Amino acid sequence: MIRVLFFGPIAERVNARELQFDYTPGMTLHDITSRVGMQYPGALSIVSFIALNQVQIGDRQQALQDGDEIAFMAKFSGG
Amino acid sequence: MTATVRLQQEDFSPDAEIAALKRISPRIGGVVTFVGCARDFSEGREISRLDFDAYDAMALAEMQKLHAEAMARFGLIGARIVHRVATVVPGDNIVLIAVAAEHRAEAFDACRWLIDELKLRVPIWKKEVTPQGDAWVTTHP
Repeated sequence: MIRVLFFGPIAERVNARELQFDYTPGMTLHDITSRVGMQYPGALSIVSFIALNQVQIGDRQQALQDGDEIAFMAKFSGG
Repeated sequence: MTATVRLQQEDFSPDAEIAALKRISPRIGGVVTFVGCARDFSEGREISRLDFDAYDAMALAEMQKLHAEAMARFGLIGARIVHRVATVVPGDNIVLIAVAAEHRAEAFDACRWLIDELKLRVPIWKKEVTPQGDAWVTTHP
C-alpha cells in the first residue's frame, strides 16, 4: 500500500487528506503522480515539493517500496 | 519541562520560553526573540482569522534540523522554536523563535536566520479568511 498525503491548499482541491493506492512492483513516483493527476485534474498544478517518507525528493522516476508515504505539497507559508 | 522544538495548537508564553533558555547556563549574555503574530490586514484585505495546516511529522523533523543547524552555525547556547497549528485571530501568537548566546551579534543573526529558514523549509500552510472569501497564502513576506 502507498499512502498519499495532502495538506492545506492541495487537500482542499482534492477534498481529502489521504489516498491509498495498491503497491505493485516497479511502481515509481511518476506513476502515483499520474494517477492522482488523472483522478483530480488540476489539483497538483500548485505542487512545489514532493516528499517521500518525509524527505523532499526531486526524482519523479524514484522507485517506490510497499508502505511508502508520499506527500504532495504547495509552497510553504508558515510563520 | 516543554520540548525545545514544538508544534502545538495552544498559545505559548514568550516569558516561559525565555526563562527556559536562561536556565541552561549562566554564560548566556543575550536572548533574542521573534514572535510572529496574526495581522488584521494583508495585501489590502481585512483578515478575520488564519487557519493553519501542517505536515506534522515532517514539519517537526525540519524544525529539529533547523535547531541543530542554528546551534552549530551560530555557536548558540540554546534555542527554542514553537509554531502553532491552529485557527488564530488578529493579535494571536503564531510562531516563536528564541535564541541564547554569549553575545548579541550571533543571537540576532541566528534568530533572523531561523525564522527565514522556517518559512522556506517547514511544511506549514496558512489560509487567510476574509469577509470577501478565503485564500491560501503562497508568498513569504
